[in-house]
Amino acid sequence: MIKKEGSFKYLEIKNISKNFGETFVLKNIHLDVFKGEFLCLLGPSGCGKTTLLRIISGLERQTNGDIVQDGLLISNSPTEKRDFGIVFQSYALFPNLNAKQNIAYGLENKKINKKEIEKRTNNLLRLVGLEKYSDQFPSQLSGGQQQRVALARAMALSPGLLLLDEPLSALDAQVRSKLRNEIKLIQKKLNLTTIMVTHDQTEALSMADRVVVMERGHIAQIGTPFELYKNPITPFVADFIGKMNLLKGKYDKKNCVFYYLNNRFLISQNTEYSFLENCLLGIRPEDIEIIKFRKNIEKEENILRVKIKEITYLGTIFRLTVVLESKLEENIFVDVISNQVISNNLRIGDFIDIKLKKEKIKLFESNL
Amino acid sequence: MYFKKNFNKSFNILLLRTLIIFVFILVSFFIIIPLLPLFLKSFSDNKNNFIGLENFINYIQNPSLTQSFINSLKVAITTTFFSVLIGFIYAYALTRTRLPLKKFFNTFSLFSLYIPPLAVAIGLIYIFGKQGLITQGFFGTIPGFDINLYGFNGIIIGEIFYCFPQALIILVSALNLSDQRLYEAAESLKASPLRKFLTITLPNIKYGLMNSFFICFILSFTDFGVPKVVGGNFNVLATDIYKQVVGQQNFAMGATISIYLLVPSILAFLIDKNFQKNEASLISGKSIPFKPRKNLIVDSIMFIFCSLILILVIGVFSSIVLASLIKIWPYDISLSLQNFRFSNVAGNGYEPYFNTVFMSIYTAIFGTIFVFFTAYLVEKFKPLKKIRMLIYFFSTLPIAIPGLVLGLSYILFFNKPSFSVPFLDFKIFNPFSLLYGTMGILVLANIIHFFTVCFISATTTLKQIDKEFEEVSESLKVPFYKTFLRITIPLSLPTILEIGSYYFVNSMITVSAIIFLYPAKIPVSSVSIVNMDDAGDTASAAAMSTLIVLTSLFVRLIYEFTSRNVSKKSSVWINPLET
Repeated sequence: MIKKEGSFKYLEIKNISKNFGETFVLKNIHLDVFKGEFLCLLGPSGCGKTTLLRIISGLERQTNGDIVQDGLLISNSPTEKRDFGIVFQSYALFPNLNAKQNIAYGLENKKINKKEIEKRTNNLLRLVGLEKYSDQFPSQLSGGQQQRVALARAMALSPGLLLLDEPLSALDAQVRSKLRNEIKLIQKKLNLTTIMVTHDQTEALSMADRVVVMERGHIAQIGTPFELYKNPITPFVADFIGKMNLLKGKYDKKNCVFYYLNNRFLISQNTEYSFLENCLLGIRPEDIEIIKFRKNIEKEENILRVKIKEITYLGTIFRLTVVLESKLEENIFVDVISNQVISNNLRIGDFIDIKLKKEKIKLFESNL
Repeated sequence: MYFKKNFNKSFNILLLRTLIIFVFILVSFFIIIPLLPLFLKSFSDNKNNFIGLENFINYIQNPSLTQSFINSLKVAITTTFFSVLIGFIYAYALTRTRLPLKKFFNTFSLFSLYIPPLAVAIGLIYIFGKQGLITQGFFGTIPGFDINLYGFNGIIIGEIFYCFPQALIILVSALNLSDQRLYEAAESLKASPLRKFLTITLPNIKYGLMNSFFICFILSFTDFGVPKVVGGNFNVLATDIYKQVVGQQNFAMGATISIYLLVPSILAFLIDKNFQKNEASLISGKSIPFKPRKNLIVDSIMFIFCSLILILVIGVFSSIVLASLIKIWPYDISLSLQNFRFSNVAGNGYEPYFNTVFMSIYTAIFGTIFVFFTAYLVEKFKPLKKIRMLIYFFSTLPIAIPGLVLGLSYILFFNKPSFSVPFLDFKIFNPFSLLYGTMGILVLANIIHFFTVCFISATTTLKQIDKEFEEVSESLKVPFYKTFLRITIPLSLPTILEIGSYYFVNSMITVSAIIFLYPAKIPVSSVSIVNMDDAGDTASAAAMSTLIVLTSLFVRLIYEFTSRNVSKKSSVWINPLET
């Protein structure tokens, strides 16, 4: 399912940089997008993801670097000569044209006869499920319907590349998750290479074949949603995709031991960490176990005695915020299934022992 | 290697660049370059010899002329103070109180926009002049009261009439931008009404307030109509220029005084521009508009205040109409239409009136097209940023160029058949000189004279239209001009109509920009009002004023009617259906 070596590179982004004077918005971006792939650019605001999308569309010009689309160098081509359709966050539907006229807007400019335009417009309306609303103006449509008109309009000229700039962020939660599936279905059905910009990790993880996590103008990591979750390579990615506890300490390479305050943790020897002794220990909240009622804990490894500071109900799980007596200001998050909290009658202020699963511990280079 | 895909710049971008450069050349030649001969003239004598600062020194050494400068400043400062004060109270009543009959007060407050300053002055003569209604106590029925109209008092009253609605428009829109939540938050923190006013209301409108100070200052500092009619022996710069140019044919001195008129205006303009630069909207799109509460005392005081202002405005207008209908004021007060014959005076009959109407129609049509297209190019596109910024700057400048200065600079520029290039024995034909002596130059002067307000309102509207429409069109391979015609113009139609009507009304009432420019064979009505008044035929002047006001109001009514239809049609785009 995931396209790697051998797949056809549809879009190649080569060493793209963008700066305004001294400030860099994008720095040496390399990225290949495969034919038919759904790629998400994910990152916090200001990370450069929208700028990258706009450079691909030609609406903004890169300072350096090249873009190759379908074997053609398009680095300096004007927008109207590039082959893509775009959906903006605001949809930018023409308010004085109805749904059908909006979709037909690009077609009418081509030398196609009226019947053909009519046919293709109706097909697009059917594709997005809006046959009944063709005569409605954008202001008469709901947010979700407007979004679909924008999508149909972007696909009207049968582009080779679909660009989506935060297409769902203006919608409420329910409509959003419904449209996520619809967009994904249409994209797969047409095998349409798609790049979507979003700051919502759930959206990226649930829709994308591959996710590009961006941070301050560069790519932090590229991978499938599962790879990113399982093997984040930086603390930033680790904490942006899901949640990760990060503890700062010292790493004894020879003995595979990590020292955090006066606690020692054994680290799995399968992974070789090559960096300096000052580093971060990362562990996800769900990889921490509560062992309050087990005996002989002295014999077990990687144990911390902590105090419960907060208990937050998150649906099927509870998230406990716990602290060490010797370091009250550093929160450690532990996810526990609801039953365990209720049956053990855990309360704020209780002391518990937690165990950091050795094989789940990751070490990261400390950037401080 | 990769295939290169159409490396050439697209036709659209080329077209766009050409259009931007073309508009840049036009605004340079219509706004900036005509000022150069004026500057040169101010450094020359009447035989075009360069004499350095001699004109300026002569001016300063002439006590009667320097007195005019001081007088103009006095008039401007006094007028600005009262116009903004009255405008603010009136605007506050309209926006922040439960004033009864608000719609009525709102509509009629702008009535004086349709009365030329000249006509206001004539109306004042019939109320406060030697034979005026109040001065003579309503034909002797009650004791009379003389305010000494001719001179400073008359000018101030006339200028306030002229400037107050301008301040009002700016302040109403500033006060309309409010956030109920700020006031609720202040109330929950137990702030007193005065504290709320000082900490919320005032900071929110400071840019509007500053802007209205600037507009009123320039208008009253440079106005010609009011001082011409009721100034008496109280000379101001504007009337001095007129006397030098029309009376003594001394263009060099006219140009010099123009500089004295231009410099303070430009200074005020720069101060205002610098101040507005920091403007950042304190009110977000999500804010909840202020809803005034009932307050019997405040509401009644405001009602009395606004009524008084309206009575004065309507009083002046009625006196103009009445004066035009009365046979010989105050001796034979029977009604007749004889003053509307215009045969006995300047002798041109209805020609000036129709010339003015046509001039205004042309100004409205060509001005609206030019101003909207300029704003569109400046606002909506990315290429040639520096040139677009210059076009923007030039477009905001005309508001600081007094009409008389514009008119004088246009004569000096447009009557030159060719320019000589300095240091080279070489002459370039001046294509714009073809306009000289035609209706074209009057239309052009009007377009430029009122350019800034129209430009700003077009820019504001274009800013509100999603800039992504252009980007979507590009991605759909639709050229920008198609989107301009099919999307931008329909969406801006209300503003386009508004600009057209603004141009029409102002061209109807203006005198200063065209008084030097109008060709002898094309007399215009506002100039004939000046001439009739000079000749002592005030009743005919009043009759012509009445015609102008009625025409403007008529056009405004057509505008209201059309724009209501337009907004009815477009309401389906703008307002979501209630479900």
